[in-house]
Amino acid sequence: MQITGMKWGAKLLKYVDFPTAEILPAEATPEQIQAMIDKHGGLMVKPVFKGGIGKKGKAGLLGIARDLRTALKEKERLYFAEHRHGNTFAKSDGVTFEAFVEAEHEIYVSITDNTLFRAPTLTITHHGGMDIEELSKDQIAVVPFDTLTGLKGFIVNNALQKMGAPNEIISPLVQNITKLWDLFNGYGMTTLELNPIRMRRNDKGRLEPIACDFKCAFDTDDRNRFRLNLPSDLDSQDLSDYELEVNQLRTYQGQSDVTIVNPAGTITAMTFGGGANALVTELLGDSATISSDFGGNPPYQKMFEISRITYKHWLSQTNVLFFIGGKANNTDIYETFRAMADALREYFSENGPTPLYVLVGRGGPNVIRGMGYVKDTLDSLGIPYAMFGYDSAMSEVINFAQATDTWMASGGRKAIADKMGIK
Amino acid sequence: MTTQVKTGQIDTELNRGFNFMTARGESEFPYYVGIHSLADLATKEDRVCVLNILGGESRTVTPTSHEFSGGNIVCGTMPGRSGSVMQTKIGDIPVYNNVLEALEAGHNFNVAVVYVPPSGVKDSVIEAVRVNPSLKKIIILTEKVKVKHARMIRQYCQWRGVDVFGANCLGIGDAHNKIRLGGALGGTAPEESLIPGSVAIYSNSGNFTTTMATYLLTAGWGTTVSISSGKDLYIHYSAPEFTHAMHNDDRTKAMVMYIEPGGYYEKDLEFEKPVVACIVGRWKAKLTRACGHAGAVAGSGDNAEAKEGWFLEKFGVKAIFTPDSPTCSAKGAVVTNISHVPAAMTAVMMMNGMKPDFDPIGDLTPKCWFRNDQGLELPEAMQTPVVEAIAPYNEQIEELSKLVGTIFPRQNMKDCSGASRMDAKSQVTQIHGVSVLDASTRSLEENLVQSLVREYPDANGAAMANVALNAFVNQSGTIGLAAADAAREAGSSPNACLASAIALLGPKEAESSKEVVNSLIDLFGRAKLADAADIHFDYSAQVEQALASEVIAEPAQEGDSADADKSVEADEESEEKLKIRGILVSEKSGKRGKMMLAALEARGVKSVFIDFLKAVAERTGGGLRDVQVLGAITCHLAWRAFMRRRLSVNTLLNMPWHFRIFSTLVGVAVPADSQDKKSFRGEDNGIITNDWSFTETAFAALLGRRPSEEERFAFSVLQGLLITNGPGTISAQGAKGAVSADGPEVPERIQINKGYLGFLSHTGFAHGGNGFEAIAFLMERFKDVDLTNPGDKNHGLDLKAMATAYAKEYKVYKVQAKAAGNLGYAKIPCINHPVFKDKPVNFDPREVFVDELFKGRGEYNIFQDFYHNMVQSLKETKVSKNVYCVNVDAVIAVILLKMLWQPYKSGEISGDSLEKAAFTTFLFGRMIGSAAEIDDHTNRGRNMDTRTKASACSFAG
Repeated sequence: MQITGMKWGAKLLKYVDFPTAEILPAEATPEQIQAMIDKHGGLMVKPVFKGGIGKKGKAGLLGIARDLRTALKEKERLYFAEHRHGNTFAKSDGVTFEAFVEAEHEIYVSITDNTLFRAPTLTITHHGGMDIEELSKDQIAVVPFDTLTGLKGFIVNNALQKMGAPNEIISPLVQNITKLWDLFNGYGMTTLELNPIRMRRNDKGRLEPIACDFKCAFDTDDRNRFRLNLPSDLDSQDLSDYELEVNQLRTYQGQSDVTIVNPAGTITAMTFGGGANALVTELLGDSATISSDFGGNPPYQKMFEISRITYKHWLSQTNVLFFIGGKANNTDIYETFRAMADALREYFSENGPTPLYVLVGRGGPNVIRGMGYVKDTLDSLGIPYAMFGYDSAMSEVINFAQATDTWMASGGRKAIADKMGIK
Repeated sequence: MTTQVKTGQIDTELNRGFNFMTARGESEFPYYVGIHSLADLATKEDRVCVLNILGGESRTVTPTSHEFSGGNIVCGTMPGRSGSVMQTKIGDIPVYNNVLEALEAGHNFNVAVVYVPPSGVKDSVIEAVRVNPSLKKIIILTEKVKVKHARMIRQYCQWRGVDVFGANCLGIGDAHNKIRLGGALGGTAPEESLIPGSVAIYSNSGNFTTTMATYLLTAGWGTTVSISSGKDLYIHYSAPEFTHAMHNDDRTKAMVMYIEPGGYYEKDLEFEKPVVACIVGRWKAKLTRACGHAGAVAGSGDNAEAKEGWFLEKFGVKAIFTPDSPTCSAKGAVVTNISHVPAAMTAVMMMNGMKPDFDPIGDLTPKCWFRNDQGLELPEAMQTPVVEAIAPYNEQIEELSKLVGTIFPRQNMKDCSGASRMDAKSQVTQIHGVSVLDASTRSLEENLVQSLVREYPDANGAAMANVALNAFVNQSGTIGLAAADAAREAGSSPNACLASAIALLGPKEAESSKEVVNSLIDLFGRAKLADAADIHFDYSAQVEQALASEVIAEPAQEGDSADADKSVEADEESEEKLKIRGILVSEKSGKRGKMMLAALEARGVKSVFIDFLKAVAERTGGGLRDVQVLGAITCHLAWRAFMRRRLSVNTLLNMPWHFRIFSTLVGVAVPADSQDKKSFRGEDNGIITNDWSFTETAFAALLGRRPSEEERFAFSVLQGLLITNGPGTISAQGAKGAVSADGPEVPERIQINKGYLGFLSHTGFAHGGNGFEAIAFLMERFKDVDLTNPGDKNHGLDLKAMATAYAKEYKVYKVQAKAAGNLGYAKIPCINHPVFKDKPVNFDPREVFVDELFKGRGEYNIFQDFYHNMVQSLKETKVSKNVYCVNVDAVIAVILLKMLWQPYKSGEISGDSLEKAAFTTFLFGRMIGSAAEIDDHTNRGRNMDTRTKASACSFAG
């Protein structure tokens, strides 16, 4: 789960008293907007996207207004703005009005887990306001720190000193950036980024860091994020009904990761193991409906539910139902196959038969009993099938799936339908 | 030593102090790494303690590891289980409450394997490291460990000088040392994959670790050490550490790396030995969230494409290795498909002048083990030949082909069922995958068969079921009926009365039929008879076999006195005549046996088993008795599902016993004065067996007459709705507890009739008897009106006015009760529901289903209509804030009252009888669900698995 933008970022930063730009929600009255303009000289109108998506500024998705009329016009323009960055597509649902923060200095700061150091790591620069990738190494400090003691002031202080940051910004940053550790560590984050922080002079003439944009990612295995009481649908806009349903089964025993590859695909692969998932998805390409990983020895009940949901969403369009994995180490093939077969039987009994070819490639504990169970089920349902031993190259079995899919598309599906008596 | 761990910015002065750990390990690393060589990773000297050793996953994996490694696990821990042991083929492993206790018991170990659930992993690791200074390696199998905890584990173990592997890994296997540490590399047969050779495997995927080891064998490459690194965000023992150790291991000549997107672990690696790197997951660049391994969503610089680039540069090659384009250097090759690993390894090693370790073992060509085209004309490419599987799978396939029926894996079945499940959303329960709503459109006999066989019988099967169930329904002269009548006399509730008869229907009563079933399985299972109704099946071989075998020669037990024919015919057939010559035929036919055969004939039933028994009887000059016909019928009913391995042998063997219980439950509901030797409820036994459905018989048992078609349907619907509410319902708990207490792990010990006693004793005035509350409520509402036919839509009554009047009356009562502080005031029965309650107008989907079912048949029920009016009136008079639903319990009441209204009004039956009829109706319906639970628990349960742990119990004194 990821959060970007100040709509929720400001709320999270408030938990640790990190100063933020003044924010108004989309439903702010003209009077409130006018008051913000009067006080700060202007404001920015930013679309609210769910999840994480970058480069909004470059895409022209930031509105700048120094009068009410422009502010309202920008609101109208950006309220349902659409944005594509890389392969990610997002549609805005609302805007925020964020007050101008006049500043001489812009700071970039992030806390992430760095795989080089294998430790939480602070990345900081006072050369903010530009892409972090464009800075040279001596303009940016990357400092791992001790997770048991947390992010300490001296780490921030030393980093800024070494980079030659202006003295006047160091103390306020040391005081405030350390607060971010509480947010990062206490609520199960894996990334926290503030970019930019603008250094504003307060009434007493001292500089104060003001967070003007926010990005964070949470560890899905850490329930501490629920203590933030964030709306449950904050990150779910781009999840399909299928993915949402399967995600509800996410428990610690057994993977249940799925993502839709092609809503019009014709090969539905129930894949076991991250490795098989990568290979199968890669080789099937767009003929796959979903990419899945159901490894990790899921118990019968979970596998049955996953199969039930998967069949419900995909079986009617599927030419090849593909049970595929390598030689399992600890997944009980009999239990998982029994669950998939029982769910298939239930699907046929509830929805009637659908023309299908079932292809199996698997090895591991109880594989023969598992294949035997699937075989008996398919025989009773009249579904043609082939099952390959684990000593067959997995890519060859995938090729067989594709050849079968091609045959199904060019008359095979109809032949099976006729055989099954489907009109 | 040229392995360089390039730490980039880590060398900057800013990081001074960060990597100065107390513990010092390999000097090449700025952080602690204790492993010098791969030879040190999994050694014969390593001694292991498994944390959470008796947990589900460890229980299946640890014994194999221990046995494969020659007994390297010295102990395990599991809170609260001190004193237990884990049994293995080479001796027991002792279990302690915690690591300290294990140490105090004198165990020494340097490796901890962690199977603890994710939330406890961090604490377990810290505990193990803290109390055991000898601990040097920790292998964490658990997946979904919080990143926050991974950070702490990293830091703490760095400080204390402990190497951590995982998390979310499958451990380490050393083929030379024949040691497997931690997880399940190689599954239940590690010796198949871990064959000594010269290649080390480092893999982000657990499954592909051994899959690649198996693939390498096909090119003649064995392995030294295989490690599944895990693919969490923190890979504690990762590519740089493994590479370093690989360089220092003389046994290892080359390495295979399986690398997924995410993380910079491999970026700065430098290799001194040849490497084949399999980089996968290019497609993941399209994703914005993880699928597959956690953390495998690539950022901008660590996606699969970038990683391919790193390795291509390291190897000095320009392209990916494929069989068609075998691009590689002496340094290595990059592949993107694991199937290409063996060829790439051979090619790279050839450039280094090295040959494979041994001759290829197997090959990677597609090997089809099972195929069935179902009679379709498939293109040639799809007609891949079925080949014999490699050992030992070929033998297993051979065994499988001989096996009849299935064997369910045993597990703890407390609050768990393989027969029923409730959908929490719809509140509709399913029995063997069929919702009770759909089941309610089936007859009682069909549902009884389905409860055991998991599928509905066809018309032929239903006819056979009716013969079997009706033939035994008459209980006249039996001790069971006498017991039930005595219980009635003593004022016992209907469930207690029925139970007293069932208690007498012990295992001996069903023994003969069981033997018949056993013989039929033996004769026809091997012959692969698919359809027991296939009357063209040539059973002559089975007849000869039966005549020649001991099956028929074995004399029946003298004590076969429990046989049912005797109950009817004891006075007609002497002891002499009752002596049975064999299991499949008797010396003479019994009266009931003849009646059943005649009924099967009259109903035009087709059955191989019946024909077969007749043929054997004819050949031997013997006859058939009821127990034999019953065995053949139940065997027929179960056969198709059995041969498709949906049922166990136990189910088939117990079916005649279940059937006898079904008949008895219905039979003893009728007092002795309403049945005699020849008739039941005034109808001739033969006619009932010939012509009636069991639904009709059950109706007659309760209401004294054969139902009309409309009544029969309504009665079936009622039974269907009552089948089950899932394994948590009290009646199911009773049935399951009774089975559990007998010890299902020895299924022959299960007393099926006692299972029904459990069900019956777990029903009562509040559970099953409460259906009468709604009937009483409706009788009160309709007592003063002129209603003769509740099914007549033109009843002339103003139901709206009746409902409103009552709603007003109830409102006054409710206000007064509340004012008097009585919050336990009487609630109107069968309205509102904890799930279906939040909409302006609420419906219980089960009630809606039944309402529409009857409307579709053009049938009307004034009581249901009244209920609908009443929930409206309650809202209109502001008794309720919204329109309550009429719940499914009301449906049961209105159907029953509609059937009983006329006899009740005419004084034929009393209010008391009505109450008993309502309760017994519930028992008949629930008998179906209980049969399924009893059979399911017998097949799947463990001994005494329904008990509750003492720690989960509380004291309220």
